[in-house]
Amino acid sequence: MTDKITINVNGSEISTEPDQLIIEACEDSGIHIPRFCWHKRMDPVGMCRMCLVEIDTPRGKALVPSCTTKVSEDLIVDTESEVVKKAQEGVLEFLLINHPLDCPVCDKAGECPLQDQTMAYGPGESRFVEDKRHFEKPIPISEIILLDRERCILCARCTRFSDEISGDPLIEFIQRGNKTQVNTFPDEPFRSYFSGNTVQICPVGALTSTSYRFKARPWDLKKVSSTCNCCSVGCSVELNVSQNKMLRILGEDNDFTNQGWLSDKGRYNFEYLHSDKRITLPLLIDSSTQEVSINESMDLISNEIFSHKKSSVSFIVGPNSTNEEYFALNNFVNDLKEKNDNSENINIYFSDDYLYKGFFENQEKLGEIKDLDLADTIILWSQDIKDNLPTLYLRIKQAVKNGKKLLIFGHTNTAIKELTEHYFGEEIINKNFEFNVEISEIPDLEEFILDKNVVAILGKSSPIQDVEPITELFQYLNEKSNLKVLNAFSKGNTFGALQNIDCVKGLNEFVNEFDESKRNLVFTIGANPVNNSVLSKKIKDRLIMSDFVVALDMFLNETTELANIILPTTSYGEKEGTVTNLEMRILKQNKILPVPGSALSDWEYWSMLLNKIDNEKLFESEIELNSLMCDEYIDKEILPSFENLNKPQNLDGILNFKPINIEIENINLINLEMLFVHRLYGDSSSQINSPSISMLGSERFIEMNYATYFGSYMLNNDVVTLTQDDVSIQVNVYINDSLPDNLIIIPINRRGFQNLDPQKKVELEVANSREQLSVS
Amino acid sequence: MSWEKELIEKANEIIDLYPEKRSALAPLLYLAQERDGYISDESIVEISNLVGITEVQVKSVASFYSMYKEEQTGKYLLSVCKSISCEINDSRSVIDSVKEFTGLENYETDVDKVFTFEEVECIGACGGAPAVQINYETVEGLTPQKSIELCEWLKEEKPEVVVAEELQNMFGGVKSFDWAINDNTGSSYSVPGFQNIGTAKEKRI
Repeated sequence: MTDKITINVNGSEISTEPDQLIIEACEDSGIHIPRFCWHKRMDPVGMCRMCLVEIDTPRGKALVPSCTTKVSEDLIVDTESEVVKKAQEGVLEFLLINHPLDCPVCDKAGECPLQDQTMAYGPGESRFVEDKRHFEKPIPISEIILLDRERCILCARCTRFSDEISGDPLIEFIQRGNKTQVNTFPDEPFRSYFSGNTVQICPVGALTSTSYRFKARPWDLKKVSSTCNCCSVGCSVELNVSQNKMLRILGEDNDFTNQGWLSDKGRYNFEYLHSDKRITLPLLIDSSTQEVSINESMDLISNEIFSHKKSSVSFIVGPNSTNEEYFALNNFVNDLKEKNDNSENINIYFSDDYLYKGFFENQEKLGEIKDLDLADTIILWSQDIKDNLPTLYLRIKQAVKNGKKLLIFGHTNTAIKELTEHYFGEEIINKNFEFNVEISEIPDLEEFILDKNVVAILGKSSPIQDVEPITELFQYLNEKSNLKVLNAFSKGNTFGALQNIDCVKGLNEFVNEFDESKRNLVFTIGANPVNNSVLSKKIKDRLIMSDFVVALDMFLNETTELANIILPTTSYGEKEGTVTNLEMRILKQNKILPVPGSALSDWEYWSMLLNKIDNEKLFESEIELNSLMCDEYIDKEILPSFENLNKPQNLDGILNFKPINIEIENINLINLEMLFVHRLYGDSSSQINSPSISMLGSERFIEMNYATYFGSYMLNNDVVTLTQDDVSIQVNVYINDSLPDNLIIIPINRRGFQNLDPQKKVELEVANSREQLSVS
Repeated sequence: MSWEKELIEKANEIIDLYPEKRSALAPLLYLAQERDGYISDESIVEISNLVGITEVQVKSVASFYSMYKEEQTGKYLLSVCKSISCEINDSRSVIDSVKEFTGLENYETDVDKVFTFEEVECIGACGGAPAVQINYETVEGLTPQKSIELCEWLKEEKPEVVVAEELQNMFGGVKSFDWAINDNTGSSYSVPGFQNIGTAKEKRI
């Protein structure tokens, strides 16, 4: 820690870190300096001049922008002098020369920094009588973002964000002087996984989201802090609700996790909550579908479970439940095993192809996301990080910008190749994800890790991958460096499930352990393994063979339509609970929406079923579950109870651990040719029922390198046919030359690929039209 | 239309001169302008691939500088200076007579694509004010009469290449000083004649 220095602001002394900007130092001491362009998570530019303050210099007092001037010992700052006030008035008067006064129809009005600061620091009236600048308004710059250039005050927050933070600079200033405007290149829309952040940081109403436009006024919104469930980073969010409808999700600045940013999936994946396709009453699916009451459905299910003691009961859980719900399920399953005197055949499987044993043995080695800021070297070997843990990618990008070295292993993550010091591709790792050379002999690896602080983000790159090489790498790094590891399981509350379920198995175990000769009962809980999994086809067969299938879900989908009974459940926003992120940080989810129809949260179903086993037992509330759950956490000093998590000092979450037990066998395959990946946008029930983002996952394409199969005949967007036995799929091709030869990347969470058998070869054929084209 | 092989080779030679690829952006934009007479969207895509930045970043630079043209110009770009030194030395009447001769307003191009007229800020020839540039080749000490003669000559002769020195001898007057580098290569189209990036034209023999 460096020594603090003292500066004098408005006559009082404040102590501050050296190297801080004046605006930051003042902010930390509670002195607000108005600003538009400065944002604490981005580099300063000094564009807007709103933060001018007076400082003492050897040549007398001078106005300087406080966002680009650093503090120095005994600096004298005045933020309220007459000169400063005059400057602020002048800046605002100039900004308002071209800013339209369409506040009555502007979405930003009511939470608009320009509006607020004009009220607080503005001159009160304008002397400007000429015409304002006019642009066509608004223009769509992507499927989900609209741009109104008349309102723009050219603060460069959005362009800096897209360049510095998200690394896809698809918007920029065009033209110069009075004509300056933010825009995209024609035919190159602002298609970024993080575009929604620009809407949130825009200090005026220039950038708006299609999903929120004209929906509400800010002062009518009910707001609550919560935690996003889209990936396992656990970004802090603020849910905005009006008239019992979720209208908007904003990022909250949590230094441990998202630092205020969100992926567009996390931000816009909520309209499904109010879809009329939601199931709101239990559905009994016989020869026809009929609605039944909760009590009837519970009787029916308990009858199925308890009448045949020796039947096999499988629970396939998805990642969208809270810790409390997993805990309730675990309790129910334990009691059921006891009651049926049958522990062998009752199992919980987690619906994620990428689950494997991971690295949990040594709690000391488990890293935090914050460790990325301090590491010397970051090692990444996992599924595509930008698609699956998007805000973690932003953190890695920041770390690389600050001089940390990034090394990537394997054939995934090609999209962020330009950030790396070394990309260890096909020369080091073959298509089966095995090392071609001894790890110790990998060129240049040792110099980056020997005795250094290393954070390794490790996970399976592909659902079918031998994990032995990852373990080898872990052990090597562990020996040579000061290692921290982040397990890169990406789905929602995966870590909450791992923490609160005694023993978690994988989908492959479900497929292999399924015994046709037995009586089979299957529960699917917010999981859709018949879609989105490389084992989809096999799971579908087994669900069809099962005697009774219960699905807890919000929608009819590929899995739930195979069920005998569907129980309507709730989503985040409709229940209170905790979730655990990938660094084992426990964060709070809060309730702000009423539950639709007779839907109940998972835990309420487990509680009722538990009650059927034992009359004495019943979970009364989420709080009760939470306190029971807390008992098992290792660190008793700070338990993740609702009470603790609601305290102001714990709003950023509580780090705590539980022993984790994953029983998954290594899946070992040879001659891998298809690499299955998950893209950020897919065809999950929630996404296809959210109109604003439903189209984003509809594009189907596979990736391969130039040389694969067709040599230089291939062009981007060519159509090919994938054939395997009687399955044939027509898709577009995207050329990715970072891939090894003869490896095809297939996005398994997009419609149509589920029928491919990962263990068989596929044939590739260029569509006829293109073939003729290339010959002529 | 994507770029020809030779042009890409030339571009790569230019890129090799810089430690960072994106530093070659400005000269590549002149290559693009020489090819089409303006910076076309196709060229922007090509340059963005060559230097590894996004198309809109290329567009941002191309649209910032007024010497990069966003629209097709005529064979001769007439840039008449209106900055202070020229203004004092009556550039207004030079502007008026050129406007009258060509029938063009600021930034307009005639239907035959012979002339594009623009009023520009200082072109660095204050000592020889009033000054004009023909395809960025500077002529100093013009009079309204001489400027019309110059336009007539361009219209009749239609030289492929214009060279500052020749224009000065034929139509110019007071000259500020001899340029440090005796550059008699000249230029064609609205691109400054840079010998080392290949937009300069060899002097006619």
